[in-house]
Amino acid sequence: MNGNRTRLFDVAVIGAGMAGMATSLFAARRDLSCVQVGNGGGILFASGLLDLLGVHPVADRRRWDCPFEALSSLRRDLPDHPLARVGDDALRAAFEAFVSELGAVGLPYAPLDGANHPVLTSIGTVKTTYAVPRSMMAGVEMMRSRPSCLLVDFRGLREFSARQVVAKIGADWPGLHSVRVEFPGFEAVSELYAAHLARAIESAATRDSVAERVRPLLGDATAVGFPAVLGLSRSGEVHERLQQSLGLPVFEIPTMPTSVPGLRLKDAMEAALAAWRVVRHVQAKVTKVSFDDDVATLSLDDVPGGQTIRARSVVLATGRFTGGGLSAGRGHVSERVLDLPVHQPGTRGEWHRRDFLDPAGHPVNRAGLATDGDFRPLSADGRPAWHRLFATGSILAHQDWMREKCGSGLAIGTAWTAVEAISRGLQAPRKAG
Amino acid sequence: MSASSFRIAVYIALGLCALGLLWRLSAWLRVRIGPDARAIPFHRRLASALHGAFSFAFSRRLPGVLKAFLLDVLLQRRLFAEAKVRWLGHLLILLGFTALLLMHALAALLTQKLFKGYQPTLDPYLFLRNVFGAMAVAGIVLVIAGRRRAQRVAPTAHRLGDRVFVALLSIVMVSGFLLEAQKIASPAAFQRMVDEYFGEDISPEDLSALKAAWAVDYGVAFEDAAADPDPALLETGRELHKDACASCHSLPTSAFVSYPVSRVMGPAVRPLDDVDAAKWLWYLHVFACLLGLAVLPFTRLFHAISDPVSLLVNGAASSRPLSDAGRASRRALAIDACVRCGLCDTRCSVAPIARFMNNASLLPSHKLLSTFRFAREGRGRLRDGARYDRIAEGAFLCSSCGRCTERCPVGLGLDDLWTAQRDDLAAAGHPAAAKWVQSRTASEWADLLPAPPGEGPAVAPLSSDRRTFSPCVQCQTCTNVCPVVAHTAGAGDGVDLTPQKVMNLLRLGMVDLALGSRMVWDCATCYQCQEHCPEGIRVTDVMLELRQSAYRRLATVRDRRRPE
Repeated sequence: MNGNRTRLFDVAVIGAGMAGMATSLFAARRDLSCVQVGNGGGILFASGLLDLLGVHPVADRRRWDCPFEALSSLRRDLPDHPLARVGDDALRAAFEAFVSELGAVGLPYAPLDGANHPVLTSIGTVKTTYAVPRSMMAGVEMMRSRPSCLLVDFRGLREFSARQVVAKIGADWPGLHSVRVEFPGFEAVSELYAAHLARAIESAATRDSVAERVRPLLGDATAVGFPAVLGLSRSGEVHERLQQSLGLPVFEIPTMPTSVPGLRLKDAMEAALAAWRVVRHVQAKVTKVSFDDDVATLSLDDVPGGQTIRARSVVLATGRFTGGGLSAGRGHVSERVLDLPVHQPGTRGEWHRRDFLDPAGHPVNRAGLATDGDFRPLSADGRPAWHRLFATGSILAHQDWMREKCGSGLAIGTAWTAVEAISRGLQAPRKAG
Repeated sequence: MSASSFRIAVYIALGLCALGLLWRLSAWLRVRIGPDARAIPFHRRLASALHGAFSFAFSRRLPGVLKAFLLDVLLQRRLFAEAKVRWLGHLLILLGFTALLLMHALAALLTQKLFKGYQPTLDPYLFLRNVFGAMAVAGIVLVIAGRRRAQRVAPTAHRLGDRVFVALLSIVMVSGFLLEAQKIASPAAFQRMVDEYFGEDISPEDLSALKAAWAVDYGVAFEDAAADPDPALLETGRELHKDACASCHSLPTSAFVSYPVSRVMGPAVRPLDDVDAAKWLWYLHVFACLLGLAVLPFTRLFHAISDPVSLLVNGAASSRPLSDAGRASRRALAIDACVRCGLCDTRCSVAPIARFMNNASLLPSHKLLSTFRFAREGRGRLRDGARYDRIAEGAFLCSSCGRCTERCPVGLGLDDLWTAQRDDLAAAGHPAAAKWVQSRTASEWADLLPAPPGEGPAVAPLSSDRRTFSPCVQCQTCTNVCPVVAHTAGAGDGVDLTPQKVMNLLRLGMVDLALGSRMVWDCATCYQCQEHCPEGIRVTDVMLELRQSAYRRLATVRDRRRPE
């Protein structure tokens, strides 16, 4: 990577979570040369389900069957919400592009139909989401019609209990049954780890053996649910073959983070970025960014003595508190890379409401960077901090993605819009003078 | 010295040399390195060697082997690729030494019979002797300079015999030149020759004319030589010289080394004549030669035999793998074929660790000797356990990168030798750290460790800093992606702690309990955990650091282990 010192990139993305990945991918797809800095582990908290917008307003916990209807409501109620600034067409195009890229590297998603889908979770609750991995899609159909259905779990895999799921949802789904089987080859192991099973089941012998152990237990089931351990890099193939050998639709139930679908998403994103020739510094942190008229210089700490990369535009996709983009001090919240002004409640006393589980959420959950319409963060004087500095994903202010079920939508939608603006800006003729 | 006593001395030297050679050559079949070699008896190795040599000589591979002989043995292409200066030095010594041996030392047997009218004082022989001698001396200087340069990078191992050869060779060369210089300028030598040639048949006038000519043309340091002799006298002397001496004596300027030396010696030649210096220099010259011959098998010169054999065995092994017996013999041969040039040490990828740990037995040239000593002293006679722990430390820190093998100028199969050495050490109770750690469980080790736990930031910057692991949310990602956990799951000897449990021990301040854990020691350092950690914790770096701490700290209580 010695050449990166002198190379001038079109885009430097700081952060490798969902927003950083989406931004890098969209930039590279537009033939912008892109460098990404950041530990890629954060994306492991993803479930593989890509939400667009599920709940609004959060205080009423109102779920929407159509995310675009939810969006128009959101635009009326919260015009400053970042998603409110992304058009429907842009969101559709962004999601289509995102899942087709994932499909191209071996992580297929069910076709997008503009609707939200109910997904059964590993604790028996129902989650509303938009884009569903193909390996989980049969479960959505089962959730809707609720026929006789078998849930399988593996002895020793602590993060998934089929019995618990049935106990939670069984009253509303009488045909749902659970069985427990030994995972072939792991009979002597007391504690199983999902990723190990996911790798093991990629071998045809193990897969057939799982099918053989489940087949006698099928009864009158019309579909079979497994914890999400059906393959890591070849999950599409494992799912397909398992359906063939069982003769029934098979679906995965997403498990608690960090999960195998998170690993798949990480691996797939990395493969997609590699295919688009995005340069990545995965074990690096940005320690400093300096700007001159047209070029930003980022200092990295991944080699002794540090190194620098140069880019014509910078995207801050560093996330909020867990991602390390924001940091909460005693008195106020600050932005960690550039110390940009953070939109936040006036005093610490106003960060949280009285009730921790208040469905309306807490004001500090909507803290973040205020931006203009192109997602350029604003400095204290209300003007963009630098003319080609952008921010995408959860670091943006005025949203509460966890309660609104819009994390992926926020990342993918703002990334799309920001990259469009970058592309426009880089093509525009330089201002004279 | 009379001719017969000289002859006796030569025979004694030859006899000693032959006995020594027999001993050294048989070592190739006797010395056992590696547990596999211990199982093979002498007669099987002898049979294998004979069979190998025989099938080799009568096979179609012979032209290839001859080519290898030319390129590898004579032209030293491997050395050329590695170190040009030393290659040049080596070639100069090889050519100069061989030529002197054939033309000068064996003159009575070879040169005299092949070339009619051979006289050591006649050109071209006089000139060539100086050329060859100068080549050898220049070669010695170059080789020593190249070696010095390598020594600056890493200290090279050596044995007594290594220096004896260089010392003897230097003595032979220097005494040879001094002897020649002394004889050129010696009035006594002039007188002896005059007496031998003319006897009483030379008039005093002729004698002084001849002396005048020789004083001017040959630089003989006569006491009564005039600084500016009468031209007529000189002319007469030169005429006389042409008739009497010139057929055996070329002009001394051909001796372009010895003649200037004799000029430098100048008048000092006469007192040296008084103590018979030429005779003593001759004794020194010949004695050094004969001593070199007698102890040849135990000096560096032995490599003139062992290296060609080693290179030819390589040639044979390249087309067909050696048998077990052949491999066992090749290891013993490698010990003798090593010239301790030290090039391997300068290429060793763990040499920086050798400096850091102050353990030279990590470097290839040292390891080769310790391998040999270990094989010689045997497993049953280990008196000095600490010394062998040190050797084992070096042996097991080797990263098996293969650079020493790849770049050895004499093509030794070092990689095989190191494997054998490690097996030997392990069998004798000095296994790799990862093995001896297994003699106790992690908690037993922790109990053994002395009170003040943990290490300061200087030696353990990561594991002593809470900020390293405090972000850990115990999400198990590290364990999930760990191939070591996945691989050993279900096996009886699976890892005792998973990576996230090691992180948890650190969070609880129980570092000591992690030090002897199988996870820390079996970690493959693939960095999957570190690259996947959603909190950006340097899991693998921590594992490595813990292993280093464990190596330092557990070794101090190691002697309380060994249930024998």
